[in-house]
Amino acid sequence: MFSALAHPTRRALLARLADGPASVTELAAPFAVSLPAISKHISVLEQAGLLQRTQSGRVHTCALDAAPLRDAADFVQRYQVFWTQTLDALAAYAEATAPEPESD
Amino acid sequence: MADLALVVRRTIRAPADHLFALWTEPRHLTAWWGPAHVTCPEAQVDLRVGGAYRLANRLPDGSTVWIHGEFLEIERPRRLVYTWVVGDVAVYGAPTRVTVRFEPRPEGAEVVVVHERIADEATRDSHQAGWRGCLEGLQALAEAAG
Repeated sequence: MFSALAHPTRRALLARLADGPASVTELAAPFAVSLPAISKHISVLEQAGLLQRTQSGRVHTCALDAAPLRDAADFVQRYQVFWTQTLDALAAYAEATAPEPESD
Repeated sequence: MADLALVVRRTIRAPADHLFALWTEPRHLTAWWGPAHVTCPEAQVDLRVGGAYRLANRLPDGSTVWIHGEFLEIERPRRLVYTWVVGDVAVYGAPTRVTVRFEPRPEGAEVVVVHERIADEATRDSHQAGWRGCLEGLQALAEAAG
């Protein structure tokens, strides 16, 4: 999933889809790249489970599936705080209990 | 969702072997373990590969959550790898894995914690390969969220 997010165009596509579903043509409009190039990015996002594509006649509509993103952000956020504070506590205790450095 | 990890680093003015001891000995763990406002009234550590550990985390509301798991790799005094389960796995989701490195620095040692989610057996076996991608991914996530 993270490699899917590593490209600025794909992050921009997700940001657009956060406002609501859009057709592939609508998604491609703001970008100065070809439709096939946009389709390729959409496929990457689809494979990462971040985007759902439905087809009606010749129109492909894309919608954001934010659940994996939220899930990942929750995990990272929760443990970022946990470990930062836990290492603060370790530092305070370790520096108070550390043996004196040997002087040369 | 397999490639999910976070890294937290902290350089501490204490040697690596001292930090390793603080991280693995119950009498020390009960003195320092936990984030702000969490205390550790009880710790059990069976420091051998396959051995179990249990850390009591007393929360500000007085309740206790046990963090527990087993040791997968032990390289005293440089590296520890263990599984990490919070409370009842059925309630809190899939187990995760923690790698702690104690890297000597001129002023003491740097503690590097890598906390990963373990999606499946295949991920568990190939975790080394995934780390670089995780770090890049974390940056990407931060940029996307920002």
